[in-house]
Amino acid sequence: MRSPVNWALLGLVIQRPGYGYELVQRFERVYGDSIELSSQSQIYRALDAMQGRGFVEIRSVRSTSATRQPKPRYHATEEGLRCYQEWLVAQVEQERSRSRLFASQLAMLPAVLDRYEQACLDGASRTPAGGRDEAEADGESEVSDRLTLEDERLTLDARLMWIQYARLQLSSPTAPSKACVR
Amino acid sequence: MTLLELEHVSRRHRHGAHEHILLADVSLEIHAGELVAIWGMRRCGRSTLLRVAAGIEPPDAGVVRFDGHRLRAGSGALGSGIGYCRRGAQGGESRGVLDELVVAELARGVAGEQARAHALHALARVGAAESAALAPHDLDAAEAVRVALARALSSEPSLLLVDDPIRGVDLAQRDEILMLLRSLADEGIAVLMATDDATGLSGADRALSLSGGVLRGERTPELAPVVPLRRAAGA
Repeated sequence: MRSPVNWALLGLVIQRPGYGYELVQRFERVYGDSIELSSQSQIYRALDAMQGRGFVEIRSVRSTSATRQPKPRYHATEEGLRCYQEWLVAQVEQERSRSRLFASQLAMLPAVLDRYEQACLDGASRTPAGGRDEAEADGESEVSDRLTLEDERLTLDARLMWIQYARLQLSSPTAPSKACVR
Repeated sequence: MTLLELEHVSRRHRHGAHEHILLADVSLEIHAGELVAIWGMRRCGRSTLLRVAAGIEPPDAGVVRFDGHRLRAGSGALGSGIGYCRRGAQGGESRGVLDELVVAELARGVAGEQARAHALHALARVGAAESAALAPHDLDAAEAVRVALARALSSEPSLLLVDDPIRGVDLAQRDEILMLLRSLADEGIAVLMATDDATGLSGADRALSLSGGVLRGERTPELAPVVPLRRAAGA
């Protein structure tokens, strides 16, 4: 399964089982800033695909009336949970590879450090003091939002420190490495 | 309206034959109602920048203006419309928090009961009313910041300089401190804060960095993001 939409959706189903439309709404609320859906039907296709792989299953169906289609409620399977955990752990290594590649490429063009720093500063100032707008968030989303926000802040903090270190090293490449301690 | 203006400010520190550049040709403008945050690592010069901006420390070169007037060496922050907030800046440890603030009010010439009322109001304004009866050494990091802010705000400054407001403050209370600073800026106070934690940049109107005495991050046309033009309505 390669689609980021499918993995993100599987995470939501693991967090809490749900009906199709309910999952569409949660997806947009949780991932709206990060993953763009081509259409809402992408969620239904993803649910079908994950059901085919045995990652999710339908355990109950809610029928609203005789004329309307019954609503299946999706649950994560043990296999879905196991694969999701493996995928998450693999992301750490992929993220590390991406970061190393990015750092190597930046080091080839020191002049771009200022722009990179500007982007980090802007990103940090755009993170809201007091957390994201939680007016519509339920308890689980609120926790998820706060964890995401802290991850973003800590990442930006680390990047800003790396930029200072890179500047120091690139300005005197023959100088012995100096510890960059806060 | 520009409240604070630093123009080509430099500051060096000498240790015998060794010279350390704290501020190198720093230029900066802060406007009323603006929250500007400066990020930098330890010993990058950020506290020096605040002290120079407050008129506590003179620059070796360059000019600092507050409200259109040039700050002279040693003119200091007190009574000048500038509030300087640094934790641990309180006086005797024998007095309680409220007494400390009342003494400061009395020193400014405010009469007895009014001094107490002002002090209580200042504490309530920053959410530190419950700290009034405590001794300064009994305050936790977040309470100490709030009390320091109350002290700095007691003279009703139009510019507030805040050094490291979230250092040592636990995760749960950091955002409340940042929201407080944001709300003070929204009231019209110009706030310039320094931090060594990118979290402290949250909610700032402008975020800058300071390293090796060089201030970076001021927007220039070259660095401004390209905003796609929107199609005019009906076009």
